[in-house]
Amino acid sequence: MIGRYPDYDVLDNAENWDQATREVVTARLKPYGPLRFFTAQEEPALRALCDVTTGQDSEPRVPVAEMVDEKLAAGRLDGYRYANMPRDTDTWRLVLRGLDETARDRSGAHGGFSAADADTREGIVAGLSDGSLSGGAWDELDVTRAFSVCMRAILAAFYSHPWAWNEIGYGGPAYPQGYMRLGPTAILEPHERRGATSEDPVRNVEGDGS
Amino acid sequence: MTGWLKGAVGPPDNDSRYLLDVHRRDLPGQDTMARYDDSDEVDLCIVGAGAGGSVLAQRLARCGWRIVIIEAGPFWHPDEDWVSDEAGSHQLYWTQERVIGGEDPIEMGKNNSGRGVGGSMVHYAGYTPRFHPSDFETRTLDGVGADWPISYWDLKPHYEQVERELPVAGQDWPWGDPHRYPFSPHPIGEAAQVLWRGAIERGIEMRVGPVGIVNGTFGNRPHCIYRGFCLQGCKVNAKASPYVTHLPDALAHGVEIRASSMAVPVEIAAAGGQATGVTYVREGDDTHHHQRARAVAVCGYSIETPRLLLHSTSRRFPHGLGNDCDQVGRYVMVQGASQTAGRFPDELRMYKGPPPEVSSEQFYETDESRGFARGFSIQTVSPQPIGWAEHVLADGHWGKSLREYMRDYNHWTTIGVLNELLPHPENRVTLADDTDPYGIPVARFDFSRSENDKANMAYSTDVIKDILKAAGAQDVLTIQRYAHLVGGGRMGTRPEESVVDSDHRIWGVPNLFLSDGSVCPTQGSANPALTIMALASRLAQRLAGGQLDPTRAGDRAAA
Repeated sequence: MIGRYPDYDVLDNAENWDQATREVVTARLKPYGPLRFFTAQEEPALRALCDVTTGQDSEPRVPVAEMVDEKLAAGRLDGYRYANMPRDTDTWRLVLRGLDETARDRSGAHGGFSAADADTREGIVAGLSDGSLSGGAWDELDVTRAFSVCMRAILAAFYSHPWAWNEIGYGGPAYPQGYMRLGPTAILEPHERRGATSEDPVRNVEGDGS
Repeated sequence: MTGWLKGAVGPPDNDSRYLLDVHRRDLPGQDTMARYDDSDEVDLCIVGAGAGGSVLAQRLARCGWRIVIIEAGPFWHPDEDWVSDEAGSHQLYWTQERVIGGEDPIEMGKNNSGRGVGGSMVHYAGYTPRFHPSDFETRTLDGVGADWPISYWDLKPHYEQVERELPVAGQDWPWGDPHRYPFSPHPIGEAAQVLWRGAIERGIEMRVGPVGIVNGTFGNRPHCIYRGFCLQGCKVNAKASPYVTHLPDALAHGVEIRASSMAVPVEIAAAGGQATGVTYVREGDDTHHHQRARAVAVCGYSIETPRLLLHSTSRRFPHGLGNDCDQVGRYVMVQGASQTAGRFPDELRMYKGPPPEVSSEQFYETDESRGFARGFSIQTVSPQPIGWAEHVLADGHWGKSLREYMRDYNHWTTIGVLNELLPHPENRVTLADDTDPYGIPVARFDFSRSENDKANMAYSTDVIKDILKAAGAQDVLTIQRYAHLVGGGRMGTRPEESVVDSDHRIWGVPNLFLSDGSVCPTQGSANPALTIMALASRLAQRLAGGQLDPTRAGDRAAA
């Protein structure tokens, strides 16, 4: 993943982290086994949803699907459930079923959400985020809340991965080392790297420059 | 007067800072603490080892009380259990199921709920402001909310004592009851400097602090290392939580903490209407144990305290303990906590330094020209990557657009507000139909904002956006959210309108007390931790001083 910090690797500093933190973070780099919570039937839609929502379209990918699966298989809940919603585990299954149903309706693709073209998939996720999807599985859910349930897990997975930290130039764990150079902006810790470019994200994404 | 000799004068009657080990973060005394038998009638059984329960235990243990604390979560071993990592800190939060409803459902879990010895303060940001004197009489002054049965001046000596114990670092404080802090303000990072410059540009006064984070050394507690993971549990022992400020001293004075033990009901003797103790279940063991006690204090915070009272039914209290007048679980409050981030050309790297740095209470009091009662405070915050991703998502970005905003992380800085949302009886905790693995009904929390609440939140969001604009932000992103909890077992002068009297005593049960945030009738725009500790300190003083006899029924006239 090429980010704004091409010569920066947060793991270069890992030897300065405490052991407990190093173990938790580096475990995310190890190969994951087969999915445990999601079924083989659900897997393609899960992977496609994780790709679309995190803007990943080629290898190497942050293994978001595996990380979400691990969380749900371990029963690590977030501590709350909306009164008009099923449990998070059921919400996930309904969302994946709904994505496949909607993709078949919209494109006639037999393979479901993962087989649809990129524009169709983006359009369906846009409907998920603004709550405009309806029919089938969607009628059993509050759609925007279902999107927030999924995104909570997806974003926590993606932005806990050191590759994502490299992309955004995040300094990472700092115990017992600490940060002593709090500013002004010209001063960095020895392991931090300045961004190579300084583009404005609004212009890139929403303007004509993309 | 504290604050003249910064950092020089420690608190009396609390040796926690010396009892801590310089080389290990474990709670000293865990292996050698007192052990009481279930059949042993201890002087006090406390449910919950958080801000309220821990201070109460530490104070009374010093007076010779024999105390057992029942705590649902684990005993922490921070060197091994806590990490400098957002996703890896999941176990610090109360993640057991809860149902949220109403028009504005409140996210629980990592947002506001702790589990384990030390409670939610293990992962609070560290802001420790006092309430203002006006918070204790909002009904009289502003015609909204409620008056407390006690005043700011009743709590003031306890605020001062707890500030010395944490110890609080910050600039001299000009708002509310002006006061000083025992430790000097911390240096602040560039991300907070930028925001402060914007505030000055708009004529808004800000001050560094107040935070319960050591600036210097404090006994065996070291100086903060500014690593930025206050919300993930402080591995340094610099940030204050009961784990380092009160429990070491409590254990040294004969308190037993029975961790990984879930309180089931509080039992009331059929004759006499007194609490006889607490029934609990140990993790991995289905048998019910019953700790006998002369008095009981429930300190489980605004969700678990009402839940425990509501399902502690008996012939005397068929609708739940202390719930004769349908007051238990009502008037639960959260604060509006919108955050606005601004983008700047320079790299600001907001992850460096503690999230709490600079704050303002200039908008704390009612100003009729704003069109709503009461006010808000302004505080800098600094989300780590996952928190920042949630912020970007809340503004409507996902996929490639989200990735672009995220790549720009180092150029952003974030400022937040805390709105005083007013107490309302329908914002309440009830029991849901679902049950937890112990067979206890889970809590349901319904929350809806009033028109005053909405006007306050809308106004305050404009103020912080304006600060960012004045600071030169090129782009802003806003997330509307909520933080903190208080209420649900509020104190008052009559049982028809409250759950406890001014001595935290449940109406109708002379030896049953609430000592946590649930007793607050209003919340101000201040983070609640310091006030919860100060309230517990006052209650302990009254119990120890004999002003309050747990064997006799409460006197309504005295309340």
